[in-house]
Amino acid sequence: MQTRRSFLKFGVGAAAIGALAPLSVSANSSDVIWDEEHEVVIVGSGFAGLAAAVEAGKLGAKDIVVFEKLGVYGGNSTLNAGQACFADTDLQRKLGIKDSVDLMVQDQLASGRGYASEILLRHSAELGPYVYQLTKDCGCVYRDHIINTGGTSVTRSHQVVERSGAGFIRPMLKTARSYGVKTKTRHKFEGLITTEDGTVLGIKVRKNYQTDHEDSGTLINVRAEKGVLIATGGFAANVAFRQALDPTLGDEVGHTNARGATGDGLIAMLAEGAMPIHLSFIQSGPWASPDEGGFGYGAGFSLYNFPHSIAIDRNTGERFMNETADRKHRADLEIQRRDKDGKPHPALLIAPKHEAQKDPSMDNVLRYNVAWEFDSIEAIAKHFELPLKPFQKQVDDWNKYVKAGEDPQFGKRMNMGTGIYMTAPFIVQRLWPKVHYCQGGIQINTKAEVIAAKNGKPIPNLYAAGEVSGGVHGVSRLGGCSTPDCMAFGVTAARSMMKA
Amino acid sequence: MKPMTTLLVLALGGFIALSAQARDKRDYHETVYDSGCKTCHDQGLKSFPSDESCLQCHDMTKLADQTKREGHDAKQNPHDSMHYGQEAPCMECHGEHTKKHAICMDCHNFDYPKFN
Repeated sequence: MQTRRSFLKFGVGAAAIGALAPLSVSANSSDVIWDEEHEVVIVGSGFAGLAAAVEAGKLGAKDIVVFEKLGVYGGNSTLNAGQACFADTDLQRKLGIKDSVDLMVQDQLASGRGYASEILLRHSAELGPYVYQLTKDCGCVYRDHIINTGGTSVTRSHQVVERSGAGFIRPMLKTARSYGVKTKTRHKFEGLITTEDGTVLGIKVRKNYQTDHEDSGTLINVRAEKGVLIATGGFAANVAFRQALDPTLGDEVGHTNARGATGDGLIAMLAEGAMPIHLSFIQSGPWASPDEGGFGYGAGFSLYNFPHSIAIDRNTGERFMNETADRKHRADLEIQRRDKDGKPHPALLIAPKHEAQKDPSMDNVLRYNVAWEFDSIEAIAKHFELPLKPFQKQVDDWNKYVKAGEDPQFGKRMNMGTGIYMTAPFIVQRLWPKVHYCQGGIQINTKAEVIAAKNGKPIPNLYAAGEVSGGVHGVSRLGGCSTPDCMAFGVTAARSMMKA
Repeated sequence: MKPMTTLLVLALGGFIALSAQARDKRDYHETVYDSGCKTCHDQGLKSFPSDESCLQCHDMTKLADQTKREGHDAKQNPHDSMHYGQEAPCMECHGEHTKKHAICMDCHNFDYPKFN
């Protein structure tokens, strides 16, 4: 009844506009009946939200709440490959890799194609060593192997042993709870509650929300004493939204995200007047397989194998791209592989088994029909109806490139494939991009404050971190570079709130 | 329509709707049906049962033990997974009156015999 009364207080107009419209009230909070009040309110339990919860806990916040829409924690973060790019770590030094913050920022600026924010990238890269240590303190365990993601000048993607973001999320959730953080699933964010001048007082939440049942549960008003952090991720799972922004991203292209990645937080902030930035820059993962849903096992397998494998067009039997170029470059080329009727004709990633078997995911991709083993070039050609002659020549040519340490065909960096020749037996996986990451979002500054479109100034008490923020990566984000970004700005938002 | 008839139609309609909804019910839930809808629908009949409702009878640790997998498949225990541990709520994958769908299957081609 309390909720109903408070709702009516806003008048028929506000109620009719619906859940996505912001609720603005005059000068102060006395107009609203608050069902809950917390010192720090965080929306979303992925990397950004949990990093903020842990940092706020470390800084002595006494009452932190994390709201999660789904029944499970971690959102999209818990499904990813568990990688994070950090520059100049002890592990890199141990493995003889020379790296620096400058180099990491440069690589990302190149991939951003003139649209990335150097200030935000530098802020995130400089916090990298702190975040690396913070995750280790939470109990995250890194592998001794560092992953080579596309578009980088050195190898820098550190990976947790689980080879999944779950290896970050679960220890961070546990640590957050050890600080007394309240973590609540099935609480769907429905909108911001602000004063008429735009100051954020709190949020409207649908308590006991059941996935895909929009009317389930009850609406409550939650007061935020120090501020609200929106860490709700991207909108890859919102087909209408993403296709409106990029017409090529219809149903033909799947996505790798959790079910919850529908852009709720972004849409609510836009309604509140936040600055939209680069919304059309939506990234597809070039390592995805059409033979399983979501991120699956194929992504990890192809990520391991790209440096020493070849991607083959089924029409020509030849390579068509640098297999370690940045994501946009590869995804754009992969989605152009079509049969004569224009239907998707996914390319083939061909890896030599003698190397592929060093990756623990080979067993999984073979077992779950995401990749298949073949004894010869002829067997692959026959099975996938490739033109044998050019295919055979391509493999022979490739082996010459391996020997020479140079790829005259596409200029691929060959040092990761030294001595790894393409010899039978082979493991073959199909490649078709899936929507993976939304570079666009709302604009933030280096304090993780959300910027208002009307005047370029921060919206009081409103913070955002992670994929929901935009403009950091520009046109294309490099692999392994979201995790450190999400965590760095989550940490930053917590620091800002505790200072405010 | 006379009031009595209206009531009868409403009552019959409700009965038909209920039996249609209950079509996927499990044999071992028979006694729960006998005890009435509220046994599970702790948040009102029109709302989904809470995540705790199932745990009145089912014990999470025991469930995790029952669906334990060995060797290669060890991490695929839906009641104790790598992604969610023992925290994935029942209703995320199970539905008494709706089609079952394991969230693991959003991304993985796992073989869960009861979920095909």
